[in-house]
Amino acid sequence: MSRILVAEDDPHILRLISMWLKRQGHDVLEARHGLAARDLLQAEPVDVLISDINMPGLDGLELIEAVVPAGLVRRGVVVLTNRWDHGEIRTRLAAWGVHVLPKPFSPSRLSELIESLTSSDVTEPQA
Amino acid sequence: MSLHESAAPDQYLLRELMDGLSLPGRASGLSLGIVGSATYPPLPPGECLRTCLDGDPGEVASRGCPFLAGAARNNIDLKHLRDGRCPKDYQVAAQHTILGGEPAVLITVEGKPETRGATGNLPARAPRGAAEAELLGHLDTAARLVQSVGLLLEENQGFANEVLQNYEQLNLIFDLTQQISQVTDVQAIERLLLQRVARLLVSECVYLLTSTYGSAGASPSQYGSAGASPSPNECRAYAAGGDTQGPKPVPPISPDEVKAAADFVRRTRQVHVRLVGDQHVIAGPLVRLDDKVDVMLAVRRASQGVFYSGDMMLIESVLAFGGQIISNTELHERLRRMSLEVTRAMVSAIDKKDHYTSGHSERVGFLTRLTAAELGISSAEQQNMGWSGLLHDVGKIGIPEEILCKPGKLTAEEFEVIKQHPRMGYEILKPIASMGVILDGILHHHEYPDGSGYPAGLAGEAIPLVARIIHVADTFDALTSTRSYRRAFGIEQALEIIREDQGTRIDAEVAEAFFQALAAYRRDAPDDFAARFARVNVAAGPRTGRPSEREVEHANP
Ligand SMILES: [Fe+2]
Repeated sequence: MSRILVAEDDPHILRLISMWLKRQGHDVLEARHGLAARDLLQAEPVDVLISDINMPGLDGLELIEAVVPAGLVRRGVVVLTNRWDHGEIRTRLAAWGVHVLPKPFSPSRLSELIESLTSSDVTEPQA
Repeated sequence: MSLHESAAPDQYLLRELMDGLSLPGRASGLSLGIVGSATYPPLPPGECLRTCLDGDPGEVASRGCPFLAGAARNNIDLKHLRDGRCPKDYQVAAQHTILGGEPAVLITVEGKPETRGATGNLPARAPRGAAEAELLGHLDTAARLVQSVGLLLEENQGFANEVLQNYEQLNLIFDLTQQISQVTDVQAIERLLLQRVARLLVSECVYLLTSTYGSAGASPSQYGSAGASPSPNECRAYAAGGDTQGPKPVPPISPDEVKAAADFVRRTRQVHVRLVGDQHVIAGPLVRLDDKVDVMLAVRRASQGVFYSGDMMLIESVLAFGGQIISNTELHERLRRMSLEVTRAMVSAIDKKDHYTSGHSERVGFLTRLTAAELGISSAEQQNMGWSGLLHDVGKIGIPEEILCKPGKLTAEEFEVIKQHPRMGYEILKPIASMGVILDGILHHHEYPDGSGYPAGLAGEAIPLVARIIHVADTFDALTSTRSYRRAFGIEQALEIIREDQGTRIDAEVAEAFFQALAAYRRDAPDDFAARFARVNVAAGPRTGRPSEREVEHANP
């Protein structure tokens, strides 16, 4: 079981991701925008951050820049994004070692990704 | 655990409700338990009677309580409950009631009597007060509410599951379209389709019945039963979960049912769903080239659920798409083979006209490709260079036969005519678009590195690489062939002659690659090599010595 924060401004998609992850036995925190996500992470780090890119206030890229270097995400970040800006996002996020899944996300691929991020022996926080 | 995560949200809500109602101190120790109705099955001992839980749940659970035991068996005898004994000396009563519109048994338990252990002599139960009756009424209303909330939550979860499943399918279809465009052989496309259909339809086994199903060896009715099974040409199978041995190509339903489903699909060209025993079968058409119809068939056990219209639409569109791709691939392959055969026929006619040993152009094409590979050229470009080698002398079609086949010495004028053939070949094929490298090879295959060749007199690197390669291959094959005016040289001798001309008439780097490639071919495929160069060292044996100047000059006009 991993502790996962989901940051997503669409409440239905947020609920869907959260439901899917809880069903896999994870401990899930929900945030409706980047600022809320940052506050939650500052209160307590998580294993995996799943984030949307386009969010009001603090967007996904700003959120990642704020929390990943601070070591608030222990295992890895998965970005869910719309396909149209997929290529550009991938390049911009490559430096952080962030995984990108297009929306609509494949539930099984999301599970596999989280499994691979959390089952590895790497224990130090992401750089 | 919260409401929307509970597997049975209505039970969860009801339990919360009862917890609230049976808080100590409320209604003077009144507690309620529901021990069974159609919607609410008996709760396990230790959970159904809150009063007992208030005391010592572990003790009750281990020692057992006749009321709880009776409730757990759903064997609720009111009389038994009234007359029985609670091990904790609580006053227990049970009554039939209606909960959420359904009959249920409600148990009420009241606070401990003053005297402990006075079993068999319990004080009579006090008459039920007005407050209690009101409470029961509220409980019924609450139960109805809980039930409808439960239904909504269930529905909500159903929608969510459907959305998740649609997301998954969308991704699978997207992956399929991405991957299928990278696969170029038909078998691999079939495998990909089988695998994706298995995942899309959540089916353990998927089969592809070709149009020959049941035609080879055993008839379908013998499959499975008599130990016979369809050949891979008749039926290809895919089992989900990566069965390394490969599943047996025998669908887990009777072969006659398989044939009936396949026949239906072939006749109607529509997706077809049927129930066979306790297995659900879905079958759809995969239309291939020449209107041949293969049938893809997937099987689900009853427990995995029926195939819905969504599944039918899914398999229909995937197969339509897959059939299109397979047809295109087959067509492409057919056209490629056809153009190769036509070209070979044409080229061999030219070889005959020139009285070359038959297969000269074919061998030059082959050797060109071999050398190109040795030089590390991309495989698409190797293929083009091979074509160029095959067609290099196509211009000879326009050279009069009396000059081309003249046994004696050619006059200067005659030689000028022969020298026209590279340009003629170039002119013949120029109108065909996308010939690029092929034309370069044809036009320049008689250029020499020292600039003394024709038609352009190019030198060194200015000669296109493809032309330099063809020139080496052409020279080697000409030297090892018997001509009307001389016998063939042996292989070693031909190589020696080429080696001597390296740097002047032969490109040095290309010649090295040619030597390497030929040696490797001879070593790795000796039988092929012998067959291809069978004419060398036959008849009177190879001649020896250096060819005359005239022979080298005209060895490969
Ligand atoms: Fe030639």
